[in-house]
Amino acid sequence: MTAAGGCLCGAVRYRLDKAPTAFGVCHCGMCRRWGGGVTMGVEVPPGGLTWQQGKDRIATYQSSDWAERGWCQACGGQLFWRMTADGPMHGMLSPAAPSLDRFDTLDFGAEIYIDAKPDSYAFAGDRPRITEAQLLASLDAGGAS
Amino acid sequence: MTTRTGHCLCGAVRLVARDVPATATVCHCRMCQRWTGSAYHEVSVPTTQVDWQGETITVFASSHLGERAFCGTCGSHLYFRVTQEGPWSGNYDIPLGLFDDTQGITLAAEIFVDEKPDAYAIADCGQLRLTRADVIEKFADIETVG
Repeated sequence: MTAAGGCLCGAVRYRLDKAPTAFGVCHCGMCRRWGGGVTMGVEVPPGGLTWQQGKDRIATYQSSDWAERGWCQACGGQLFWRMTADGPMHGMLSPAAPSLDRFDTLDFGAEIYIDAKPDSYAFAGDRPRITEAQLLASLDAGGAS
Repeated sequence: MTTRTGHCLCGAVRLVARDVPATATVCHCRMCQRWTGSAYHEVSVPTTQVDWQGETITVFASSHLGERAFCGTCGSHLYFRVTQEGPWSGNYDIPLGLFDDTQGITLAAEIFVDEKPDAYAIADCGQLRLTRADVIEKFADIETVG
């Protein structure tokens, strides 16, 4: 089953070859600085997303040696985080879960950079909650860096 | 009420906000979801109390009631502002993540909770939870925000 999504103003639209089943939340300082709150993302393998409309409206910013972030130049609607570093995760794309037309049915899979989360809020429920050190260790083990 | 500083991800836009309240609100409306890729976690500060610096502030009129600003270089979100005169005008709703330090800020309310996806919930810390109908009742002359 496919899935579709887009930005706030509708200028940018995309289709995913395979509908995601889960999303994750990132509490890192860069994600919170960029979007104001946490980032909620789904994971799409390289080539799994087709821009159907407005690809030329997408702006990107290389926010670290690892990754870039993309948004709609017209409305500022935040669209994705993409791994740009070499390695097995190169090209991995994480569209913002709420940019999907349907988000209700996804499972809340994990929270990362939990140690960077401000004290003012927490998500209810149980799931893996991964610190920065744990995440980086797992990426090192997988050879992603 | 505290003075707080902040900046966007690339540093092109900086702000100094005075009289920042110690209470934050999360908006779950569909427009905020689409815009932020999340839920809009913000503090409301009178426009007269905020100084913005930077040449890359880009403003999008997201409805006849409101506008949303972001940095044109890095895409960081800067504020939502109600442009129609009324009980909610006169403030910048500034995303919490923009500030260098958010110590002492607590979550006071979630609004438009009936539009929140079932996929997640914010833990109960005593915050108000208002539906769209609750919000409209509270601010009777606002039909919808966005």
